[in-house]
Amino acid sequence: MNALDIELVSVSKSYAGMAVVKDIDLAIPQGEFVSILGPSGCGKTTTLNMIAGFTAPSHGDIRIKGRSQVRVPPERRNIGLVFQNYALFPHMTVTENVAFGLKMKGVRRNEAETTVKSALRSVHLEGMGERYPRELSGGQQQRVALARAIAPRPSVLLLDEPLSNLDLKLREAMRIELKEIQQQLGMTFVYVTHDQEEAMAMSDRVVVMWQGAIAQEGQPAALYREPNSRFVADFIGKSNILSVTSTATQAANLELAVGDGLILKAHKIELTAEIRYCSIRPESIAVLPPGAGGSGFANLLNATVRRVVNLGAAFEIDADLGSDVRLHVLLRATRASVPPKVGDAIHLGIDDADIQPLSA
Amino acid sequence: MNRIISILYWISLGAVLCFITLPLIVVVAASLSPTSAVTLQPWEWTGRWYADLWSSRWLDPFLASVKIATVVAAISGVLGLFAAYAVVYERIPGSDALMSCLLSPLSVPQIVKGVAIVLFLSMIGLQGLLGTPALIAAHVVLALPFVTRMVATSLANFDANLDRAAQILGAGKLQRIRLVVLPMIKPGVLSGVTFAFIISFNNIPLSVFLVRPGDSTLPITVINYLEYSLDPVLAAVNVASMAFILAVIFLFEKIGGFSAQLHGGSK
Repeated sequence: MNALDIELVSVSKSYAGMAVVKDIDLAIPQGEFVSILGPSGCGKTTTLNMIAGFTAPSHGDIRIKGRSQVRVPPERRNIGLVFQNYALFPHMTVTENVAFGLKMKGVRRNEAETTVKSALRSVHLEGMGERYPRELSGGQQQRVALARAIAPRPSVLLLDEPLSNLDLKLREAMRIELKEIQQQLGMTFVYVTHDQEEAMAMSDRVVVMWQGAIAQEGQPAALYREPNSRFVADFIGKSNILSVTSTATQAANLELAVGDGLILKAHKIELTAEIRYCSIRPESIAVLPPGAGGSGFANLLNATVRRVVNLGAAFEIDADLGSDVRLHVLLRATRASVPPKVGDAIHLGIDDADIQPLSA
Repeated sequence: MNRIISILYWISLGAVLCFITLPLIVVVAASLSPTSAVTLQPWEWTGRWYADLWSSRWLDPFLASVKIATVVAAISGVLGLFAAYAVVYERIPGSDALMSCLLSPLSVPQIVKGVAIVLFLSMIGLQGLLGTPALIAAHVVLALPFVTRMVATSLANFDANLDRAAQILGAGKLQRIRLVVLPMIKPGVLSGVTFAFIISFNNIPLSVFLVRPGDSTLPITVINYLEYSLDPVLAAVNVASMAFILAVIFLFEKIGGFSAQLHGGSK
């Protein structure tokens, strides 16, 4: 187990009686890439500002490398921060921007020069040192901001939606690059975003925040596979969320009643509260031609196609199961596949493990 | 249609420019008048009135005005910077009320301010300050709202994230002010200071109460001279002071404009 870099111990923040962050506990080991993911207003930026020191928590403690930071001002926390709007100093060249933190630390000139050069090299901006920020593209400014933040070798790097101002292509390229840089440096990254794809793509661990509290945290794949609430199921990826009542428990299966008469068999899992919903990922539902037989699915349902949307790589099918139950199904497009047409009767096959019971 | 709008545009632009510059052209022409009456005779001109400007009658008040305006610009620049910093940047308690207070001299007519200052000084037995010290103090009162306003505007446009960026990179408060805030608001400060200089240099309504005989500013000397005679030397004085003001503006533009170029892409 690595040493802990950042610890939040029952941290809360309220403004004028309004609780923005509610009693958060979080421990981030050294060298981990952690994303704090949530919709706007969920308290993620406030949490980031508390780690950086711009906002003081109302309650609780924030520790960096085991030492309480509550009374330490931002300039002495040895943290790096990449801003959403980059916040480059417009009156300084790229080199001066990147050297700023080193200068503040009192690093000697020739040593600083070497560090600036290697920081610029690691973000692929060699030879841009004499330019001013306004002479660079958005993506290049983003890289300068990153270089400036990592040059002083902070113990932790915080990133506040750093890619949200870039276009899609660049954003996707930067995701991979950010992850590579993080692994090269072995630095702890705390990445705040509302973009679940970004969080999934880069993180070792994702912390989903909702309404000021942590809704769920875990590895991206685990969160995707086993969301613990409707909110997480819906926020991370797409999901069919159905209202269910648990009717019977067998040896290995739960039986969930959907609407009237429809029973789904789900994998048995331990939930502390009553099961009220279930989540089914659209891509985990198989579309079978009528009369294809059971073929090993725990659930085999009759449905009628209501709508087919061609997404290129896949078809999104809106399937009507009768009694007001509809499922979105994602059918991967292959060279041979012919998608069903509107009005076609089809069978849907769902594995019991692909039905995730939820209590909230 | 577009053509008509474009013609109207050029006509109105020309009209505005004429409205602004014609009186100045008349003054320039008058200063070159060959007779001692102020006349307009564009085909005959002389530069002899300008030679008079080097006499101590005009040179001394000019130097006095330059001295006062320089001190006023410096003092109101520093005070305006501090005031705007405290009110806009630090948002000290009661900053809105403070800002109104700082701008309040704007709402008092200059004549009233002049009388009030003279009365105040004589009431507290400080008539001795009339002349340069009183002029400087009064002009600072006059110029301060303008400087404060201009610095406040540039501070309000300052991206607070730049300050945070510097802070997280390890810069203490003074370092942030020196290395980030001041360079960013320099154009605002410089234009405020330029304004203060011009306001002081050109002022009549306040100065007229505060000058001492034999120790007068240039505009007051012009007014006094005008009471007894109207001749082209006055026009020459005005042209010269106009040229001087333009030179001052140009100089500050050069300093401030240079940095404005650097700031072009900010935000």
